[in-house]
Amino acid sequence: MTPPRDDDDLPLSRVPPVHEDVRREVAFHLEERTKELVARGMTLEQARAAAGEAFGDAQAVESECREIESRRRATKRRMRRHEELRQDLAMGLRLLRKSPGFTLAAIATLALGIGANTAVFSIVNRVFLQPLEYPDPDRLVALSEQHEKGTSNVPWANFVDLEEQSRTLSAMAAYGSFPATVLGTGTPIRVRAGLISKGFFHVFPVRPSLGRLPAPDEYTRGAGLVAVVSHAFWREQLGGRRSLDDVRLKMDREVIVIGVLPAGFDFPDENQVWVPMGSFEQSLSRTAHNWQVVGRLAPDVTTATAKRDLDAIMARLRSAYQPDFDATGVAVVSLQKTLTQSAETPLYLLLGASAILLLGACTNLASAQLARGTARSGELAVRSALGATRTRLIRQLLTESALLSVLGCLAGLGVAWVLLRSFARFAPAALHLERVQIDGWVLGFAALVAVATTLLFGLLPALRLSSRQSSVVVRDVSRGTADAGRMRAWHVFVVAEVALAVVLLTGSALLIRSFSLVMDTELGFATDRVITVKVNLPEVNYAPESPAIVSFHERVLERLRATPGMLSAGFTNVLPLEGYNPSGSLEIEGRPLAANGRSQGYAVYRVVGGDFFRALRIPLVEGRLLGPADDGTSAPVVVVNELFAREEWPNESAIGKRLRPAGMDASNEPWATVVGVVGNVRAGSMTDAFHETFYFEYRQRPAHRALAVSYVVHSRLDAASVERLVRAAITSVDPQVPLDVQAMNDVVSASVADRRFTMMVLGAFSAVALLLAIVGIYAVVSYVVAQRTREIGVRIALGATPVGVLRMIVVSALAAVGPGLVLGTALAFANAGAIRSLLYGVSPFDLTALGATLLLLTIAAVASSIGPAWKASRVDPVRAIRGE
Amino acid sequence: MTDDRLRFLKGTLDVLILKTLSWGPAHGYAISRWIRQSSDDDLKLEEGALYPALRRLEERGWVASEWQTTETGREARVYLLTPAGRTAVRAEIAQWKRYVTAFTRVLDARPSGARV
Repeated sequence: MTPPRDDDDLPLSRVPPVHEDVRREVAFHLEERTKELVARGMTLEQARAAAGEAFGDAQAVESECREIESRRRATKRRMRRHEELRQDLAMGLRLLRKSPGFTLAAIATLALGIGANTAVFSIVNRVFLQPLEYPDPDRLVALSEQHEKGTSNVPWANFVDLEEQSRTLSAMAAYGSFPATVLGTGTPIRVRAGLISKGFFHVFPVRPSLGRLPAPDEYTRGAGLVAVVSHAFWREQLGGRRSLDDVRLKMDREVIVIGVLPAGFDFPDENQVWVPMGSFEQSLSRTAHNWQVVGRLAPDVTTATAKRDLDAIMARLRSAYQPDFDATGVAVVSLQKTLTQSAETPLYLLLGASAILLLGACTNLASAQLARGTARSGELAVRSALGATRTRLIRQLLTESALLSVLGCLAGLGVAWVLLRSFARFAPAALHLERVQIDGWVLGFAALVAVATTLLFGLLPALRLSSRQSSVVVRDVSRGTADAGRMRAWHVFVVAEVALAVVLLTGSALLIRSFSLVMDTELGFATDRVITVKVNLPEVNYAPESPAIVSFHERVLERLRATPGMLSAGFTNVLPLEGYNPSGSLEIEGRPLAANGRSQGYAVYRVVGGDFFRALRIPLVEGRLLGPADDGTSAPVVVVNELFAREEWPNESAIGKRLRPAGMDASNEPWATVVGVVGNVRAGSMTDAFHETFYFEYRQRPAHRALAVSYVVHSRLDAASVERLVRAAITSVDPQVPLDVQAMNDVVSASVADRRFTMMVLGAFSAVALLLAIVGIYAVVSYVVAQRTREIGVRIALGATPVGVLRMIVVSALAAVGPGLVLGTALAFANAGAIRSLLYGVSPFDLTALGATLLLLTIAAVASSIGPAWKASRVDPVRAIRGE
Repeated sequence: MTDDRLRFLKGTLDVLILKTLSWGPAHGYAISRWIRQSSDDDLKLEEGALYPALRRLEERGWVASEWQTTETGREARVYLLTPAGRTAVRAEIAQWKRYVTAFTRVLDARPSGARV
């Protein structure tokens, strides 16, 4: 009798289909019954009929049995799967515990790869993928005037006409944002305040969380001043009070707070207070580019359509108001784009780099899995022979990989968290990385990456190891010869890893060179032992043209000069490296006016006081500096920089020439005489060219230009003492002035924060990629040595020296790495376009960077192959040949 | 047959099958023959109803089956009691006997003459 066969133990492919089973059983029953009846004396036909009748409806029985059977089998299958999964997990855990070194290394590798990707994704998610927190953000656009040389803000008069005549925008608003000192909430506080036109809350239809929005008549000139505040301001400065009765703030004059905006709204610039521009004296000049403009597209209107409409209006205005007009059109750009533009390239770079890193990590792990799997190929072969299907084996191997991925993913979340915290510290402030959190989207992404990595590094080894040449595998392992196919796989892995490392390292090297070139550029001033203090006189106490402003500064300068340890002190309206605004047009005496009847020059406009030039050690090239004698009563003077002098008066001295600002501080200005020429100073960023600059003594300009200034103090003392003394000096003159102290070096550092950040992050990624490549090469070479033990033994027995063996292994490692270097170089060059915008003074094809990278990787390859090569050279030939 | 009677029948069939199998493994035909013969042909079942019942008992885990070759060389599906089934038999039979006793008692009861 054949041994009993339980369906449940058979592989599912071999169990007979359900209906066949039932039919056989029923047939058996009917046959036996028929036999019994025949034995009792019936004829065959009678017996058959009687048997059928006794049985009942065979069809019904069969279908009912089929149903139950299918159900039962499905349940059995499910339970079996669960059981198998549990077995696989238990086995996987056991395996991981048995080789803790590999496990830790694998989890660490995965954690780094998944963590880096998750961190970068969180940032991208926050900056790009999450829509602005305003209703219907994709309808919002930013508008600016186009000129021959670029774009600019919009003059009020033009804005009014555009708003009135536009048919493609459902709402438009002009706004400006400026720092203001607010008193009336306890301590004086500096906030960013916004001046807004009446369409503002139609462009941003937010609902106040308390109180109300300004009424249309509150936007007209002369109306009583009201203001709305941000949610954060209400919470922090107003104590979150429930009623807004009689809440008054003092800015340039007193305002009544009438509403609180909902949490999260701080357009455009982390603003805390918004004031309808009702009583602001507007310049009616159509070339006074004062206002930023934002709008909301009408339904079904595209930016292109809006632009056509606005351009047409602009053309009409131009012909009506020539020659007092300089706009050629209107630029219409999606608002979200303008806010995130500068962050795009570095973030995409990061995304690319982290993806490459993950790929490298997976490659390493895949090859490691293959190596370990080969050691188990005996076990797998036996399993296969016992009846496990290929799918079963693959499932088992994938479960082990998945286990690693899950652990790696969890660890990776920790890594991501750490990365985000440290990114936030070093990142440029504009990205607002401190607001980035690990939320649902990010977790989902991490899970997705984990699944992808499982497939990437688990599937290929699983497929190879479970292949049907089980007997061949067993034979191979015992003989110690390498399978040609597997060797090819190894080589592919190594080449891929090395190539990826080349790309990242070259990118890093280029960024490092750029950064050092940037830091080496000439600033035009000295930064050591200089601190800066931003001072904002509260307009409520210092009326725009009051003499109190001059008196304040003179007293502060006096106190500072009297303080021991101070070498020189002065101030300026805008520090170097903090921008080239304000800039203004100017007229030069004796020059014909330009075609439009307006000025012919344009320069960076600076107002200075005290010993500004000496404090920053800006060299005097010709003539004299501005001094105490130059005040409101003496002849107007001006100092220009070298570039200005060279451009405007190329073959003569600038001293004695006369110029005057035009369009900025009222017309009919008196001519100012050039009395000195100073060295060039970087106004914008360090990679910006020098700009033509002219400097006025603050007492010879309208006093409001000195309301918000930056003091610079050069001293002999250490930073802490200087800060203390300077604060004391200023607060002794007026304690109600908010101060913001920063070392000049920090100002410089902040101006390159973007660049430094990108460089650091890419550097970190490259370091990890290098590490991965080293580990990968080490693993592969070890494996190859293990596989070729017999061959090495033969060579030694035939007379090869240990050094010779060493050399052979190292050379073969280099030969494997070589194609990777070539491929990597090709990839790096192909990538040149992407990285070009981040470089300064360096070409993406720079050979030094590339050469350094290739050299580094070659050394790394040699270093990581030395270990296994050394072991190979000590092989005992006798034991090797015997196959132990 | 109406539904409730069919259900009733299924319940009884289960007990009979379990009891039959407690004497040893048997294939479907053998079970039906045993039941017929033990009841002296009084219990007439639709023999086909046996098989769904057997399958359901399998689903519950009281009965297991395997394909065996009989003495005559044919392949038949043989059923046997699992340990769980063995426990179930005792419980089911006890419950059934209790039910029958109660049933009989009601049938045999007469209204008492005396009024208390």
